[in-house]
Parts: sequence; structure tokens; C-alpha cells
Amino acid sequence: MITTRETERKARQDRRFISKETQTSAKYLRRIEELSGAPEGMEPFLETLGRIYVDMKGVDTGRKTIGTYCVMAPQELIYAAGAVPVKLCSGNYTAFFVGDDIAPRDACPLVKAVAGFKQTGLMPVYEDCSLMIVPVTCDCKKKIAGMLSEQCNVMTMHIPTSKGDDEIDEFVSQLYDMAARLEDVTGTRITYDSLAEAFRITGRAQYELSEFIRLKKEKPYLIRGTHAMTIMNSAAYMPAEDWAAALHKVNASLKSRAKSGQLVTNKKLPRILLTGSPIVFPNMKIPLLIEEMGGIVAGDETCMGERGLYDPPVITDDSFDGMIMALANRSLRPCPCPTFADNTQRIYRLKQLIKDNQIQGVIYHVLRGCLVYDFEYKRIEEELGQLGIPVIRLESDYNEEDVEQLRIRIEAFIELIKLRQEPGKRSTARREI
Amino acid sequence: MKKKIIITALSCAVLGALAYFAYVFPFYEFEQNDYDTSLDKILSLDYLKMLAPLFIIVGLSVVGIILIILLRKRMLKKDKTYSRFAGRARSGKTPKQKPIPYMIIRWIVMIGFGFMMIWGGLIFGLRMSSVSIPILSCPWNTEQMTESSCYYLSHLSELFDLPIKNILLFFGSTLLFIILLGRAICGFLCPMGLIQDIMDKLRRRTKTEGIPANEKLYSALTPIKWALLLIFIGLCFIGGNFCNFCPAVATSPILAGMSTSLYVSGFIMIFVLIGGFFKRRLFCNICPLGYFIGLFHKVSLFRIKKDCTACTECGACYEACPMGIKQIYTERGKANVTDANCIMCGECVKCCPEDNALSLTCAGLKLYTSSRKDIMSGYDPMKK
Repeated sequence: MITTRETERKARQDRRFISKETQTSAKYLRRIEELSGAPEGMEPFLETLGRIYVDMKGVDTGRKTIGTYCVMAPQELIYAAGAVPVKLCSGNYTAFFVGDDIAPRDACPLVKAVAGFKQTGLMPVYEDCSLMIVPVTCDCKKKIAGMLSEQCNVMTMHIPTSKGDDEIDEFVSQLYDMAARLEDVTGTRITYDSLAEAFRITGRAQYELSEFIRLKKEKPYLIRGTHAMTIMNSAAYMPAEDWAAALHKVNASLKSRAKSGQLVTNKKLPRILLTGSPIVFPNMKIPLLIEEMGGIVAGDETCMGERGLYDPPVITDDSFDGMIMALANRSLRPCPCPTFADNTQRIYRLKQLIKDNQIQGVIYHVLRGCLVYDFEYKRIEEELGQLGIPVIRLESDYNEEDVEQLRIRIEAFIELIKLRQEPGKRSTARREI
Repeated sequence: MKKKIIITALSCAVLGALAYFAYVFPFYEFEQNDYDTSLDKILSLDYLKMLAPLFIIVGLSVVGIILIILLRKRMLKKDKTYSRFAGRARSGKTPKQKPIPYMIIRWIVMIGFGFMMIWGGLIFGLRMSSVSIPILSCPWNTEQMTESSCYYLSHLSELFDLPIKNILLFFGSTLLFIILLGRAICGFLCPMGLIQDIMDKLRRRTKTEGIPANEKLYSALTPIKWALLLIFIGLCFIGGNFCNFCPAVATSPILAGMSTSLYVSGFIMIFVLIGGFFKRRLFCNICPLGYFIGLFHKVSLFRIKKDCTACTECGACYEACPMGIKQIYTERGKANVTDANCIMCGECVKCCPEDNALSLTCAGLKLYTSSRKDIMSGYDPMKK
């Protein structure tokens, strides 16, 4: 029996939640907008994030939305079933505080925030989902899948711990299950043609992304990493066609920038690679701090960032089964996720990114309680140390209490890189300041 | 390893016995073998009669392929997840990358050389017939442009009865080609490879599921490959004739207008066609001659080079590789990833999405390098 007092209390809590949530999101959106050097054509991405988090609206497309919690659930299948995928991994501070009471203390903040959103039931992106697909990449994801299934339709996917032929075969059969489940939810049949069309939709987005990465690689100061991460983050809430079209405009403006030699800055800012636990809007404090303290995020290796859409599926067999095989292969084999027991390939990936983007320092981001990423820090620090690349580990949580501490550490790290720069370069940099 | 040797010995005995007694099992026998060839014969209606065994082989292969597809459909009917998606419309096309010069050249060379190996002598006259190339194109067909080394390699006992000049010419030209081209011979010149690649193209056109890359399949094929090499080289010494067993007999002599009787080779050709349809270049995986050339891969000039840092281990090369070479994506140290099985078909480079991660080189010269632009070219909005 719910009394009027209880409903009133709930309504008051909800109002407080909404006002706090919109305020923090709006604040971070404003900070991203205020950062200098944003390329032309950024507006659709900022608008999308604003619509979802500030206006609190859904992904309005007229199609059903399917929530995913990891890039290992292939978007192509969702598009083929006539639905739109949204990535629901959350970075929201307000929802984190709600989730803090539900999830255990040591659970990671990302999962706590998801639990918080589902508990309040106020976020349209979460509430609109007809199905949520949770690939079990860590213990927290496993338990959140259980919690979510009490309130909505959830499908879990088993992620193997290695990438042998048998594991790929098993994952293929899981993708068939996923396809069947999607058909049941959307009522649209996944055929050869619709799947091929879905490949074209996401392929178009990946084409634009590869152009974007190529442009960035050629000139490291063409765009700020925070803006690049904002673009990548908004891909979670935009249909791939719209996202590709918007990114096409950004690419065009970057091309004209590169031609006219107009860069974000003329100073030799330290180029930093951001890797580790996912960085999800509005938890953009680390990239924002790096760029506000005079560094530049020249590369990111996080799954809500460029990694999410980086690897294209390669069709080697033109049958329906061949396409599913290509998806399974793309999802597992190139993925440098620490959920796999042997993840040496991530070190090579980082080394390649360091070479491509002329990285001078690596910031290893660990969300509190994100054990799998934390485990890999030591190895990566050793390997990159041999290359002479300094690495620091930044642990953060979904609140603003640690901002000052993070600021000090990031500032010191940037100073360290500036000191390590060649003396000649350093003096020119000083003169410019 | 012990198990593999036992299987090799066993299959050696079985296949060896089959090869030895091959002449007892006629596939198609002409009353009288007629090895004469002329252009008039090819242009006359009699030519169709000569082609009869070929028609039978192709017909039986088609029947076999259809039977296998139907059988697989029946088997998958019981499987709930797979059967749900079977039998749905498939009129659309998968996104394709734009044609690549290397692949176009390869196809032109394959078709051109295949043509020359069948009718070359008839049209242009025999000019290079003393040169031996190690390919599996039947030397019964005297009209082929060059000699094929397979005859004397499988009849070593006869080789040493030849004059010394011929022996030197044989070894000289064979070794020269092996060193210059290595297994690129398989990928570019061998007519058996052309036939199998055509079967694979047919499968892709009909959008039929093939057999995906599978370690178990490849490791099961290795002992058979070893056994076949032993039979290929050793059978002549115990009085057998590998040619009655060789699938290549069933193509080029017939097409050149010879009425040659077929023995077990006809059956094996059916296996090659059906196998090549479902698994690209299945026969190349057990080909004794190809394996023999592969033994020299460390000295031949064609190489596959890899930038191990750029590789993301996506395994697309492994999925695309018709020879199932796995170390091409697992290798993390050496720059040279050429394997004894590699036939230089370039599929791995074509499928590699990373810039400069894989490249095909000849004597240090880069012929073909992987690039993301090529992979993504099918999605370019400007080119539509």
C-alpha cells in the first residue's frame, strides 16, 4: 500500500534527481563547448548529448531501440532487425549516487550509474529500450544483467576468455541467438539483404571514422581529443547514418583546416594518449582537465572512444553465415579488452597508437573498482617504460570530489613531459608562452 | 606427432594401393586412345565426343554439390537457431571493395597461362617445350606451351635414362622456377588452381555457405599431404604410375582434343571440384607437388612481410586464407611470415584493414601492401 506521503517523497526525489542530473550534464557540455579550437560541424554531436542528458529525451527515430552494454554486441544485427542500437554504459554522477546504495561498495561506478538510472526509471534512453544486450565482460556486468532483468527484457552474451577457433564458433552461435531474439522483439525478419544493408550503414560510419583518424594522424594538433571523444561518445545515441553524415561535415572542415594550416594551437603542447577504463559523457573530467592544463589528448584507446567503431568486419564468405562469421570475428579477435586472459595485443595496439600520433605520455585511466583494467597497468607501464614513454595511473570515481587531486597529478605529468622535451623545443615553447 | 605419423603411414598404404591399382578401376575408357591433336579436330563435332568424360565429371560434381547442399539443409532443420534463417531471400549484395590491380593481374595471368597450357602448342607452335615448370598440368597433353615437371618428378626412375642434357635442363629449369617464383606458381600459373578458384567464385556468386577456416580440418589434411608426396615420388620405384591417380589428367588432355582413358583420376577430379566448391583450394592443401615447392620457401623470392606492431590480430587474413595459415596473424616477432603453404594469392593482404600491416614482396620490392582505404572503399559515399 503506497501512501500519499510516500508518493510525494518519491516525486520530490525525482525532481531533485532531474535537476541535479541536468545541471551536471549541462555543465560538462558547456565546458566542452568553451574549449577552444572546436571544428565546424560539431553541433549535431553536442545537440545529441544535450537532448539525451539535459532535455532528457529519447533517441527519437520512430524505430525501436535496443540497448547494448559493450561494443562486442554487433550493431549490424540490430540495424538489420530494423532497430537502433544505443550504448547504455553510463558516466552519470547523479545516477551513480543513486546506484551507490543498490550496488556493493566495490562495484565499479559505471555499473552503479546504470543501476541508478534503472532504479529511478526517469531516463528515457533506458526506459525506451525494447531489449538490453549485456555481454558479460566482467563480474559487475554479470550482476547488473541480473538486476536489469528484473525490470526489463535482457539478453546476456557469454564472452569467452580466449580467442581460439572453437570460441569463435561458439560466439557465432550466440550471434544467431541474438539475431533470433532481436527478431522476436522487433518483429522484423533479418534476411541476407537487410544484414548486407546494415553492413553498409555501419560501414559508412566506419569509413568516416577511418578518414577522421587518418586526418588526425597526419597532423596531431588538428583537433582536440576532448572534442574527438565527444564525437565518439555521441555515436552511442545517434543512428549510424546521421552520425556518419555529421562526421562527414567535421571531416570536411578538418580537411580545409589542414590545407590552410590552421591548427588548434601553434604551441608544442604535450601529446597525451588516454587509455584504460571507458570514459563516458558526462564523466569527461579527465580529458577536460588534460586539455585545460595545457596538454592535448592526441589519441584514445577506450571503448566508448575510437576503439568502439575502429575495426571493420571483413567479409570473406558471401553467404549469410559468412556475414555472421565476419561479425563474430570482428567482435572478438581484434578487441584489446582486458576481459581476455591473454591481452598482449593491447600493448602492440598502444605502441602503434604512440607511433601514429607521436605520443609523449600515456595516462592510464582506472575507474575505481575496475579490476581488469587495473591488472594490466603494471605490464603496460613496464613495456612503455622500455620505449621511454612516461605512464601514470589515474584512479577516479564518478564524483567531483577528486577533481583537485586529479588536477595536481595531471599538471605535474604535463610539466614532466615538457621537461623531457628536447631543450631546443622547450625554449621555443617558453618564448611563445 | 606420433599419431600423425601413424595416420600418414596408414593413408600412405591406402592411397598407395589405390594409386598402384588405379588402372583396374576405369572411370571412362575409350576404345582406342588417340593422342593426336590438331586445330581441325577441336573445331569439328568430334570434339564433343572427346569431351564426354569431362561432361560426366562436371555433371557428377554438380549432382554431388546439390546433394551436399540438400543434405546440409536437412541436417540443419533440426537445429532451431540456424534453420530459422535458412531459405530467406538473398537477392542483395554484400558490400565489396573496389577491384585491386594485384587480383586483376593474378586472374589474367591464371586464365592466360591456363589457356596456353591447354592449346598453346596448337596455336603458337611448340617453342619452350624443353623448359619444365613445376605445375600440375598434365604432360600427356603434348600441346602445352611448356613441359610440366610433374611427369619426371613422379617418374624419377625414367628420368635417369634420359640423356644428360635433358636431365640438366629438367633440374635447371625446375629449380630456377622454384627459386624465382616459389609457390607463386600455385597462385598464378597452375591450371588446377584456376579450376578451383573458378569453383570458389561460383560458390560466392550463389551465396552458398562454405567450410570456414578450421584448424582441425587443416591438421587432418597434413598427414594426407605427406602421404601423397611419398606416393608421388616413390610410386615409380615399385612399378606404379601416379598419373592414373592424378586429377590433372582429367582436364587439359581432354580439352586439347585427346581421347585419354581415365582411371581413378576421374573420381579424384570430382572430389577436387566438389571440395573446391565448398572449401577454396581444398586440393592445394594436399597437393604433393605444391608441398614439394613449398619446402623451398626459405630461398624463393616471393615473401609475405608483416609489421607486427600494426597488426590488430583481427584474424581476417586467417579467415580469408585458402591454405589456413594461422601464424600470419598470431606472429608477433618476425617480419617474414611466409609459410611453406603460402601460395601468394594475396587474399590476406586484400583483407587486412591495417595500413602497411601486411605486404607481398618480391626480392624486397613491395608488390602489394594492405591499406584501410582499400578495405573501406566499398563504403565510400563519393563513389556511388
